[in-house]
Amino acid sequence: MATVVEKSTKERLLSALDDLEVLSRELIEMLALSRTQKLPQPGEDSQILELLVQRDREYQELMETARQQGEVHQEMEQLEKEVEKRDSDIQQLQKQLKEAEHILATAVYQAKEKLKSIDKARKGSISSEEIIKYAHRISASNAVCAPLNWVPGDPRRPYPTDLEMRSGMLGHMANLPTNGVNGHLPGDALAAGRLPDVLTPHYPWQSSDVSVGMLPPHHGNDFGLEPPGHNKENEDDVEAMSTDSSSSSSDSD
Amino acid sequence: MMCDVIYLRREAGSVYVNGSVMAVSQEKESDDCSLLPLVHDIIKCMDKDSQDVHQELAKLKTKIQEAREQISNMPGVDSSPLEQQQQLATLREQVRTKNQLLQKYKSLCMFDVPKAS
Repeated sequence: MATVVEKSTKERLLSALDDLEVLSRELIEMLALSRTQKLPQPGEDSQILELLVQRDREYQELMETARQQGEVHQEMEQLEKEVEKRDSDIQQLQKQLKEAEHILATAVYQAKEKLKSIDKARKGSISSEEIIKYAHRISASNAVCAPLNWVPGDPRRPYPTDLEMRSGMLGHMANLPTNGVNGHLPGDALAAGRLPDVLTPHYPWQSSDVSVGMLPPHHGNDFGLEPPGHNKENEDDVEAMSTDSSSSSSDSD
Repeated sequence: MMCDVIYLRREAGSVYVNGSVMAVSQEKESDDCSLLPLVHDIIKCMDKDSQDVHQELAKLKTKIQEAREQISNMPGVDSSPLEQQQQLATLREQVRTKNQLLQKYKSLCMFDVPKAS
């Protein structure tokens, strides 16, 4: 179905004005001619005049319509301003909602992660006694804290030192095939696992029956370098400690 | 043969042609935009063989040109009255809808506190 496009008021006004111009010109020319000669069609001037008057009336009605449309246009401008303001308010609200959504989404995600961690921890839970036992075991070798009588210069370390490794089973196994010919210099007493007397350190904690030149494979039970769980004596100490709930030091007496 | 004489008279806002009223202006404003008074003045000058005919013709031309400019500058006449009413109704509906939307979201409680079980 074809829709009839109505002409705008402006087009109709301009059209009416053009018609008025043409008609008034024709009328004036006809009157001017009628003075000098006879009109070819009598009564034509009346027709033109009637048309002129009719068109003028239409023109005036259109001008009144245009005036009313101007008032409506002012109201529309006010409404458009209001629409713009509402749009701006809606955009501001949208921005705030988006921000709130982002914050809430982050909070929910973090809460979910925490819940997952809690579930995971619950599934892999161990008793506090076991944790305390393990704590005793790993702290027995002074790995987490120096012994009370440790002073700077003390060669004791919470890990096996070079000397101790070489004086252990692995170091002795390397020395077995030949005397001194094991890749080390003959005078390299350290490589052979033996210290000369003058280099043997004497420390307050050393007992008198320590053999000169030979470092004990283990530094006694002062700091218990044996691996945790392999020394039954230590396990007993730990067991006793846990039941007595005494201090964490496991120095054997 | 004599030509017919047209008597054009303007009186009290009406234009008479040969004694019959042809146009009645309802408001003074309409008289301002009507071209008939000027045409009447031109014809009167022609009847009197006055030298003011050219002046009156120039006035008519000027008035038509001014009317064209005025029409071009008039706001709100780019559409027909019906289209303009439709646009006005659309704008009013837009304002109403947006007001409703804003009112709804401002009064909406987004965080409903769940009842303790």
